[in-house]
Amino acid sequence: MQPLLEAKDLTKRYGSVVALDSASFQVSSGITGLLGQNGAGKSTAIKLFLGLLQPTAGAAEVMGRLPYESPEARGRLGYMPEHDCLPRSVAATEFLIHMAQISGLPPAQARTRAADILRLVGLDEERYRSIGQYSTGMVQRVKLAQALVHDPVLALLDEPTAGLDPGGREKMLELVARIGREFGISILLSTHLMGDVESICDRIIVLDAGRVMEQGEVSGYTQETATLYIDVDDRKEELVAALAARGVEASEEGRALVVQEASEEQYDEIRDAIVEVGARLRRLAPRRHGLADIFRGGAS
Amino acid sequence: MTTPQGEVYDLGYRHYEGPREGRLRAHKALWVDGMRTVLGIGRGWGSKVLPVVLFICVITPALVAAIIASVSGLPGVEFFRHEEYYAIVLIIVALFAAIMAPELLCPDRRDGVMGLYLVRPLTRTDYVVARWFAFFSITLVFVLAGQVVLFAGLLLAAAEPLDYVRENWLDVPRFLLAGLALAAFTTTVPLAVSAFTTRRAYATAFVVAVFIITPVVSGALTASECTTVTTVESGSSTTVTECDYATGDAAKWLSLINVLGVPTLVNDLIFPGEVFEGSQDASGELHDTVPVAWYLAIVAGLGYTLWWRYRRMPV
Repeated sequence: MQPLLEAKDLTKRYGSVVALDSASFQVSSGITGLLGQNGAGKSTAIKLFLGLLQPTAGAAEVMGRLPYESPEARGRLGYMPEHDCLPRSVAATEFLIHMAQISGLPPAQARTRAADILRLVGLDEERYRSIGQYSTGMVQRVKLAQALVHDPVLALLDEPTAGLDPGGREKMLELVARIGREFGISILLSTHLMGDVESICDRIIVLDAGRVMEQGEVSGYTQETATLYIDVDDRKEELVAALAARGVEASEEGRALVVQEASEEQYDEIRDAIVEVGARLRRLAPRRHGLADIFRGGAS
Repeated sequence: MTTPQGEVYDLGYRHYEGPREGRLRAHKALWVDGMRTVLGIGRGWGSKVLPVVLFICVITPALVAAIIASVSGLPGVEFFRHEEYYAIVLIIVALFAAIMAPELLCPDRRDGVMGLYLVRPLTRTDYVVARWFAFFSITLVFVLAGQVVLFAGLLLAAAEPLDYVRENWLDVPRFLLAGLALAAFTTTVPLAVSAFTTRRAYATAFVVAVFIITPVVSGALTASECTTVTTVESGSSTTVTECDYATGDAAKWLSLINVLGVPTLVNDLIFPGEVFEGSQDASGELHDTVPVAWYLAIVAGLGYTLWWRYRRMPV
């Protein structure tokens, strides 16, 4: 099956600065995270796929076509930029109708789509107010809505949670996950927050200084490890002693205890030690890798 | 009998399976949006005031002339004719262009909307062309409305309307052509300036300055001798400055510096014969091709500058 996006030895230089350095990766259907620190080349990669920039070398293909040569290829993409991109003096509904028409939809259909999408992103009566009066959360929703109003095959979302408080961030991620899973619109989510990728993405591409550092299924990076995580509310020291008496070496890590390379037999010893000291157990589970391990070189 | 009860269904997300009309629709949408922006449609009342006031200003001279001509009923009673109308309302049209044209380009770049346009099935050239035509369309209606009113007034005033049409029908294609030339000029100049700033006020100030300063500079350079006469009557004094304009070769060419006067020169060529006094200056002695070439050079040159600027603009 043809990938939706494909970077082939993609290179972009700004003078002597290399923003992308022979990056090769594919984006297929589902939710893909494009993870990297600021300046890693995420926004440059997105702009190359949208045809806003031309590569210095290599190619950025959209469904097998070059976006800067093919306006039609761009027509099936949606784009939510990180920066401000909305006119302040018009209402969200007017703006969405206009953007739907710019994407080629006739006026009557554009009106229907605009109303549907604004409802889906959670803007009701506010849609008739000027965008200049909106909160950050509402502005982000309108930015997302304009990226979806023409029913794209793939939406490229550049830092959609930027500037949102924790509650707003969670709601935005829920909405993005819903778009990817229920609406059937594939997503390329660019972010510097690992939590965003871990919580909703199927696949991940990690960029570092313009190069592809890692790529694969998110589940591959969050597999269980042999390290056992014991979270107890109290009596940690007694528990460590009781475990040592049973030949199980445990160490404190943050608010919990961890047992490295725990074998199945040791699970019973650990259970008995907890019962013996009467510690209140909150959680006992094998630890999973986190995406942070990629940057520490710890992923298996 | 049971009362039917309404039910709410969550239809969820529905994919769009209707027509996609590509660049043509995008082009049309930008054109329509541009005209709505200029007229303040879909925006607050504040945005509508200025275009309405300026439209009233531009049409009033024609309306007054038409009313006087038709009410007086006297043949030959005319305020002014078609060939003079554009020169009379030129400053209002220029003001309208300087204030309203930046509204079409500056906010799109300032607010970052350009980035959203260019990732859709639309090219940079499409954007510039659609915005240009949007302002051109409005300006054309703006300048032609007065001519149409004037024509209707003169027609009604004529003792024999059919004879009037037979004798003056050429005025219609002439004022249409001169209107096209004026609208193209007052569209291209301010749009080209607006391509270099995201601040509307700067663009407006620059265009107004060009339209005001160049006639002054041109006048100063071509005026060979000026005399100031002050008369005192009934306690109030009136000062009048009268200038004799140079007629040498250099003066003819220097008169072309007056950018605002260029469409009037073209107007005078389209309407042969007697022209409005206000538009006569040293350039009247130049060969006909010179003002036309100068007009085309300004419109084409600034049009190219506008396009070039958008071709290279980072988004």
